[in-house]
Amino acid sequence: MKILHVYRSAPDATTKKLVEIVSEGRETESFDLNVVSPDYSKLVDMIFAADQTICWW
Amino acid sequence: MAKSLGIFVSNPNQMRHVMGVTKAAVAKGSKVKVFFSWWGTKLTTTPEFPELCAIPNVDVSICADSYKQAGFDVNVVPKGLTPDKMATQAQHGAIIEDYECYLTL
Amino acid sequence: MSRKVCFISRHPDYVHDAMRSALGLAVENMYAYCTVLDATVPVFSDYHRENLEWIRDMEGEVYSNMDANVETNELVKISIEELGQKLREMDIIVPYGIPS
Repeated sequence: MKILHVYRSAPDATTKKLVEIVSEGRETESFDLNVVSPDYSKLVDMIFAADQTICWW
Repeated sequence: MAKSLGIFVSNPNQMRHVMGVTKAAVAKGSKVKVFFSWWGTKLTTTPEFPELCAIPNVDVSICADSYKQAGFDVNVVPKGLTPDKMATQAQHGAIIEDYECYLTL
Repeated sequence: MSRKVCFISRHPDYVHDAMRSALGLAVENMYAYCTVLDATVPVFSDYHRENLEWIRDMEGEVYSNMDANVETNELVKISIEELGQKLREMDIIVPYGIPS
């Protein structure tokens, strides 16, 4: 199972812990939306390639 | 090959990302459905909202109950929407059941 | 097979609507769960208590890692570690609304 973690803001300790547990033993990628100019085309490709996308706060 | 994408919006500060992701997905040939709930319905007042509604292959709807609870008049349909798109949480269910990919914003 | 969905609210203004959204999916034959994370909410109104009971009637649950929510609104206590394990079972995870 391939999971994509998307971050809308910098993850705090709680989010990091949840990501760690959810990701354990699974293939994961991440994408940072919290930038001036996100590469939306790349994000969409990553969403299409993932089995599950979790967009954290 | 482009997959279909459903976007569930509950954060009222995400219109930039809603537009960015939707346009990028449509450019790849994707069918997109966007559903706005709770304070996400505030985004119906942004200049980008009617633009979003006008993009081909994009189905936009909002939770009418959220819209009302957020202080809007349900008889006033946001620019770009039609009355039948003032809907219920069943739209969220449709995103999950009928679309291949899911994103929360 | 019915999907499993978990909403996570970290801001008190979004808790009630996350529960309403969860209920909306429960009536669509999904297993719907909510977690109130690091936020405390006042005593539920009758309307919100009914929503909680309907979620439970449809085999869902509302959790919180905050003792105050467990004591005040009878939510089920969950630790961060337990929540993480529960999220591994979910088809859809909805970090709901805005951060705290």
